[in-house]
Amino acid sequence: MIEINGKACSFEKGDTVLDVARANDIDIPTLCHLKDTTPTGACRICLVEADGANNLIASCDTPACEGMKVQTHSERVVAARKGILELLLSSGDHYCLLCESNGDCELQDLSIEYKADGRCLPETGRKSSVEDSDALILRDFSKCIHCGRCVKACNEIQMHDVLSFGHEEGSPKIFAGDNETLRESDCRFCGECVQACPTGALLEKKALGKGKVRDEQKVRTTCPYCGVGCQLWLHVRDDKIVKVTGVDEGLPNKGRTCVKGRFGYDFIYNKDRLTKPLIKQKNGEYKEAEWDETLDLIASKFQTFIEESGADSVAGISCARSINEDNYQMQKLFRTVFRTNNIDHCART
Amino acid sequence: MDIIAKEGGKDSAIDSVIFSTWGGHKFDGRSAEGIEKSQKAEQIPFLPEYFKQNSPLKALIGWDGIVLRDENVNIVGLCNSYMKALSEASCGKCSPCPGGTRAMSKLLDRLCQGKGYKEDLFHLKTIAETVMETSRCGIGKQGPGAILHALDNFWEAFEDAVDNGVKDETDYFSKRTAPCTEACPIHLDIPGYVDHIRQGAFDKSLDLIRSRLPLPGVLGRTCFRPCESNCRRANMDEPIAIKALKRFVADEALKKGRTPPHEMNISEKTGHIAIIGAGPAGLSAAYHLAMRGHKVTMFEMLQEPGGMSAVGIPDYRLPRDVLRYEAQLIRDMGVTINYGVRIGRDVLLTDLERDYDAVFISVGAQDSTPMRVEGENEGYLGYIPGIRYLRGINDGYDPYPEGRRVAVVGGGNVAFDCVRTALRHDKDDVSIIYRRTRDEMPADSMEIHEAEEEGANYHFLTAPVRIVADKHGRVTGLECRKMELGEPDASGRRRPVPVEGSEFIFECDTVVSAIGQRVDLSALVKFEGVETTDWNTIVVDPVTRQSTHPKLFAAGDCELGPDSLITAAAGGLRGALSIDSFINGKPLDYTTEDHFEALMKHLKLYDENETMDQVAKKARESFEVLDVEKRKRSWDEVEKSFTRAEAMAEAKRCLHCYRVATVAV
Repeated sequence: MIEINGKACSFEKGDTVLDVARANDIDIPTLCHLKDTTPTGACRICLVEADGANNLIASCDTPACEGMKVQTHSERVVAARKGILELLLSSGDHYCLLCESNGDCELQDLSIEYKADGRCLPETGRKSSVEDSDALILRDFSKCIHCGRCVKACNEIQMHDVLSFGHEEGSPKIFAGDNETLRESDCRFCGECVQACPTGALLEKKALGKGKVRDEQKVRTTCPYCGVGCQLWLHVRDDKIVKVTGVDEGLPNKGRTCVKGRFGYDFIYNKDRLTKPLIKQKNGEYKEAEWDETLDLIASKFQTFIEESGADSVAGISCARSINEDNYQMQKLFRTVFRTNNIDHCART
Repeated sequence: MDIIAKEGGKDSAIDSVIFSTWGGHKFDGRSAEGIEKSQKAEQIPFLPEYFKQNSPLKALIGWDGIVLRDENVNIVGLCNSYMKALSEASCGKCSPCPGGTRAMSKLLDRLCQGKGYKEDLFHLKTIAETVMETSRCGIGKQGPGAILHALDNFWEAFEDAVDNGVKDETDYFSKRTAPCTEACPIHLDIPGYVDHIRQGAFDKSLDLIRSRLPLPGVLGRTCFRPCESNCRRANMDEPIAIKALKRFVADEALKKGRTPPHEMNISEKTGHIAIIGAGPAGLSAAYHLAMRGHKVTMFEMLQEPGGMSAVGIPDYRLPRDVLRYEAQLIRDMGVTINYGVRIGRDVLLTDLERDYDAVFISVGAQDSTPMRVEGENEGYLGYIPGIRYLRGINDGYDPYPEGRRVAVVGGGNVAFDCVRTALRHDKDDVSIIYRRTRDEMPADSMEIHEAEEEGANYHFLTAPVRIVADKHGRVTGLECRKMELGEPDASGRRRPVPVEGSEFIFECDTVVSAIGQRVDLSALVKFEGVETTDWNTIVVDPVTRQSTHPKLFAAGDCELGPDSLITAAAGGLRGALSIDSFINGKPLDYTTEDHFEALMKHLKLYDENETMDQVAKKARESFEVLDVEKRKRSWDEVEKSFTRAEAMAEAKRCLHCYRVATVAV
């Protein structure tokens, strides 16, 4: 048992103080902590006061020990958090009005909660330093607080080993590869780092300028690409998808998604997209048709082929982007009605 | 060693202190009232009068406070220089420290320029408190404290800076170090390379070690690890396994087949240098000379690299492949090693001195110290000096296969190497004869423990008197005398005193003496101009390693007498720097780094009585040790390397106790 804010909490060996607090609905703020990765104890926001310790301890990185007594919001802790936040605010270009993440920023939320304001301190970070090297991700170093969540996401969640901590001109900087742009580096553009970023330092370019986060609706769906079935959130503003993120608690991906799942949704709004069946004419051109007409044509053709050449002369291909139930019905139709095993689908995109 | 020629006595040094907060004790000599309130003068640290020759040390500011000795030093200027160094040392791996120290540095800088506001003084205080309260490691946790001392005691000076700025003509020098780094003879950046391991950047870690030490695999197995006995983590639970981590990164590169890159830094003028002895000092010097573009030719008496570390350390502790590999990396840089060449027999030192631009002597302590007991010089069969015993085994034969009962005299690492080697030759009985008790044994405690597990018998408080032999001259026993512990001697260990009439015969047929080693300087015979000591060592400048002959340099055992591998490698590094300056016609001055090294010896970087928070305790990771039944009969390496996960977990325990100090001269 340990005691957090006077409440007795049980724990299992290996649990950190933060784990125990979260399991008991006790709030301890964090910035560098990223679920399912090794803690770094870097941001220091999760500092708490423990009886018998002179120093404040980082709760994300300290194992719970029998008999521990912890205060998560003592006067000393709150003052320390406020101090850290003010230093973070003065370490970059944190002017929320001009920031894409305004309203969706953990640094902003905490600064408001802890009444932190870094304007009186001298500015110590990079000023407007944006890397715009590719079509998908914008890196704004002036908003980076070096929490390292992107590094963890890259190395421990996606195992890409592209991002790392580095130093440039005497200041810390998150390096892609050997301090290259994302495009020059081995980055696969999975976007996991963007999802992990607590501020506006990493942004999805496709979402830029597409309205406010507070007007956003989130719709849960299954990724239409391959057969894995990753769970996704579609971020919808003005009836349009502006962003896709992984569902943290959703299996099988637990928040991860790949470059296609995250960025490959443009086809939905493509004006060339087929919305009606097309039937090929004698002259080789396609003509729009109604579903009844189309299905009748398919049925009659299938019938002819099967009578002439047997059931194995036809095959069924369904789309992996359709749901499992549809795929199931397709194979059932071909196997039991047409009596052929010629089935496939396109789960290889 | 103190390298400053002019140094005042203790009292005069303290008399010169105007103000001090060093070590948590405040002394304020600026007014009679201040003196009265001050604590005892003994608590002011003793500092050398001079930092460099003819440059008095006017003030010191660092992790433990401020010491002011010259009223002309402007405290704001001093703080500004210190804070600049501190912010540059901040690593950026936690959020408050880099931003906070940089903010403080900016505030102080603008104060010194006369562009500050009075509000800045309050900001300085708040930021310092936040950084100290919340940072992850030593730089932030301790660093800004001195600024608070300055603000508390020199407020008027800061207010004056707000109005008038600071006109500062003082010279400042800064240094970042750590207790472990300072204890390490070659001053490896231990917190740095351990932190790379924590982050899984094993290559970066190895490259950082190799920037100073070309033998990480060797030292990672054999070092006597003064760093670990100066590790603050010990005050919490156990010191970081620094030696094992160093070995881990070296082994990792070897496993992956990665050749570490050499940071070449070619000097303006390069020369051709002869190095005598391919031991740790010689190899280290060769590496650092080759990095600067010099041509190096080495002369080694043995048929392989490593010198005394090759023949003196058995394979179960240091596999020969590791030494050969690390020597090969040095050869790949263009260094030539001529094996089987004995100076004085095959080549003359006078020829080398004539033919080369400089000569670096790094011969080891290859002779065993005589026990001075009766029968030692009779040529008895079965009496073998320790070094000869180990050399025989390492050349692949048992020097006295007829022997079944082996008595090894001594309590150091060489004695244990002999014991554990004899055990692996399946002797009936292997005993160690030592004149003091287990607690006084200079050998590594791990060695003492592992040898006992392997079946060695220990006879403490026993000293040899006479080697007993039969009429054919074969050893039949060792006459010994019981001892008891008396008053402590110069080394602090209690002196063994013989117990009258306690003589007895210890039955054995092999006696190995391993009570010490000494240097064989026969290579120098008939060479004019090189001064030697009564202890068979070469007289050199303790810093530059230049001998009394300007072209000759020396380091390692032949400089200090039998000493550690890491000390030898450190001597090789410093000697190489001197030779580089010598060839470039630069004066062999002591560098700022040398002066800081001397200064740091006066400052307590590690306090074994420091109390630390016990809440985040975590014992050190243990590595696999070969099972005792297997290893007793085998030459396989006893200690295994960490796994990647173990190494990263162990590295995470490091408290990162970097410290920064700035001096005004």
